[in-house]
Amino acid sequence: MNPPVRPKNWLVESILVTIFCCLPFGIAGIVNAANVNSRYDSGDFEGADKASKEAGKWTKIGFWIGLSLNLIGIIAYLLMIFVFVSAAAAGAASSY
Amino acid sequence: MLRPPVRPPPTEHLVKRLLPFLGAAGVLAWLVSIYLFDPEQGRHYLPCPFRWLTGWLCPGCGSQRAMHDLFHGRLCEALGHNAALVCCIPLLGAQWAVGRWRGLSLGTDNRVVYGWAIALVAWGIVRNLPGLEVLAR
Repeated sequence: MNPPVRPKNWLVESILVTIFCCLPFGIAGIVNAANVNSRYDSGDFEGADKASKEAGKWTKIGFWIGLSLNLIGIIAYLLMIFVFVSAAAAGAASSY
Repeated sequence: MLRPPVRPPPTEHLVKRLLPFLGAAGVLAWLVSIYLFDPEQGRHYLPCPFRWLTGWLCPGCGSQRAMHDLFHGRLCEALGHNAALVCCIPLLGAQWAVGRWRGLSLGTDNRVVYGWAIALVAWGIVRNLPGLEVLAR
């Protein structure tokens, strides 16, 4: 029987999440990437598949948390600019 | 062995199929915002949750400032904000290229995986040590 296809180990994605978003989730992804490799190489294909799903889960959690925190920050910043500009405009209008 | 692709039911997996597009759009918006706004100027970016909770720098702290400087061609300043990020980009590129050339991703070798894990954790520790503030401006 041929061995099944090597499951995706999410290594690069976990590294990017670690360096751009939040530490614990990315590291969890990298540890599971190591599990994918060792289980697949020892013939535990089912375990490798499980580790791959786990790695993907942590990488995605880190990605979405990091991205939403960033986007919330950007939206808050844009709102601040908007409020500031409209307040300045109101102030300029009232001084005439 | 060729099998026809299994098509998910149209509505059930709609959200799941949209997620990659949402993620890509979000990343694009994030990249554009980093290019436009200097994270060093305003305090508009939320602090890193790890730093906020513990007071320590995480391996990724400073990466937004580093990205902004990289986008504007200031390599030295980017290195000062987060040297690991600046080193990661060519390293990941090299890893990808070698993997393509070998026909098997280097990420399938656990020495590479542990190397990354140890390097990233070590970077996170080293940059918090007193006397090494130069690594975390």
